[in-house]
Amino acid sequence: MALYLSACSQNEATRLTNIKGLIPNLAFELTDENNKAVSAKDYLGYTVAVFFGFTSCPEICPTTMHQLAGILGKIGEPASSVKVLFISVDPKRDSADKLKKYTQTFGPAFIGLRGEDEVIKAMTKRYRVTFGYGDSDKEGNYDVSHSGAVFVFDKTGEARLLVTQSSAAEDILYDLKNLIDSSN
Amino acid sequence: MSSLSYLLPWEFSPLLLLSVLITGALYTRGVLLTGSELKTVKFYWQSLSFYLGLLSIYLVSHTYLDYLSQYMFWVHRFQHLVLHHLGPLLLVLGGIELVRKGVPGWMPAWSSLPTVIRLPCELLYRLIQHPVVAPVLFVGLIYLWLLPGIHFAAMLSKQLYLIMNWSMLIDGFLFWWLVLGPEWRGEAKGFKTRIAMMLVVVVPQQLLGAYLTLTSSVIYDVYDVCGRAWPISPMADQIYGGIITWIPASMMSVLGLVLVLRRRLNYLKRKEYENN
Repeated sequence: MALYLSACSQNEATRLTNIKGLIPNLAFELTDENNKAVSAKDYLGYTVAVFFGFTSCPEICPTTMHQLAGILGKIGEPASSVKVLFISVDPKRDSADKLKKYTQTFGPAFIGLRGEDEVIKAMTKRYRVTFGYGDSDKEGNYDVSHSGAVFVFDKTGEARLLVTQSSAAEDILYDLKNLIDSSN
Repeated sequence: MSSLSYLLPWEFSPLLLLSVLITGALYTRGVLLTGSELKTVKFYWQSLSFYLGLLSIYLVSHTYLDYLSQYMFWVHRFQHLVLHHLGPLLLVLGGIELVRKGVPGWMPAWSSLPTVIRLPCELLYRLIQHPVVAPVLFVGLIYLWLLPGIHFAAMLSKQLYLIMNWSMLIDGFLFWWLVLGPEWRGEAKGFKTRIAMMLVVVVPQQLLGAYLTLTSSVIYDVYDVCGRAWPISPMADQIYGGIITWIPASMMSVLGLVLVLRRRLNYLKRKEYENN
């Protein structure tokens, strides 16, 4: 009973949407920006933030990544145990090199991941998100619809927080800090 | 993606597949057992209506359309239009009661079941089918699943999503069954109640549809959180969804009204003919 109550109060303490139990644990097999095969196991022990985006994204992706970089900066030293996985939903245009250049601008915590179209589709389905492509223009550019959410997993790979485009920066800071502290 | 793969289920549901197959099989058996003297042109139209209804429910729940419904607000509204309005109405107009005729003799009859099971079910059924409760439930469920907080959770959680769709389908069926089922053949008793029920459900649906269409801000952010099936502006998505909730949904209710009137008129004509 005491355990149940503490679990309850823990749930109430988050300002962001608590997705514990709603969303499955972190699991994937992809290639990172150094062309190395990686899986979710490689990130156990880190607090992991997952975002599905693409490097040609004009607005949502850079804004979200900048916001996260700023928050990690505010958290300071403890943020060294955080990894932000930027998973490309446009692997056709996002080469490993392109991803690497992109994530470098945000800091060492940011890692670009990519995979075959089918693998990415299966992964987005697992987290109940999706993406789609618009028609190409004359230069071959096209728009991509994708999730604006950041899924945060704890050090054991369990889904914990959902950051959306409407989440306030101070709420993200508050919850992320608590999550890092609680799992230390 | 090959065109055939659009017909594959996005999330396989044995419950849905079995429900559709069993209902379809029992109905078909009922049709085959019906004597040829009863097979008028009307009978064939009814069968067509039934199969179309069943097919439409299957298509929106168990194909690529189900995927689109999870990631596009307007497709979701279309899915609910079929699950709550069109599909169940077609089943009821299609004479779904023929299913009873198709039930094999070895199956236990409802009346032979122990009272412990029968009584609570029958009481619940009577409550849901009360002429005041039924329209409130019919409109209430549409509103409930469109409350932003609940809508968000239903689109994010697979279990809640299934509960949402099943509740819409079952409620839609029960409502149309109450209004246009075989219990009422057009007698004076029950006529006004049916007219009132149909009128009562039209206005709240129109208000909701108008609200969704005309609101200038995005109400449902879950589609931004989870991503849309293809690039479309959130406002356009919401407006299309609002129009589907507003116009075809309320038109279906008006159609229901017309069907009630028609059944009443046919009944009066028949009586007049018999009296002469």
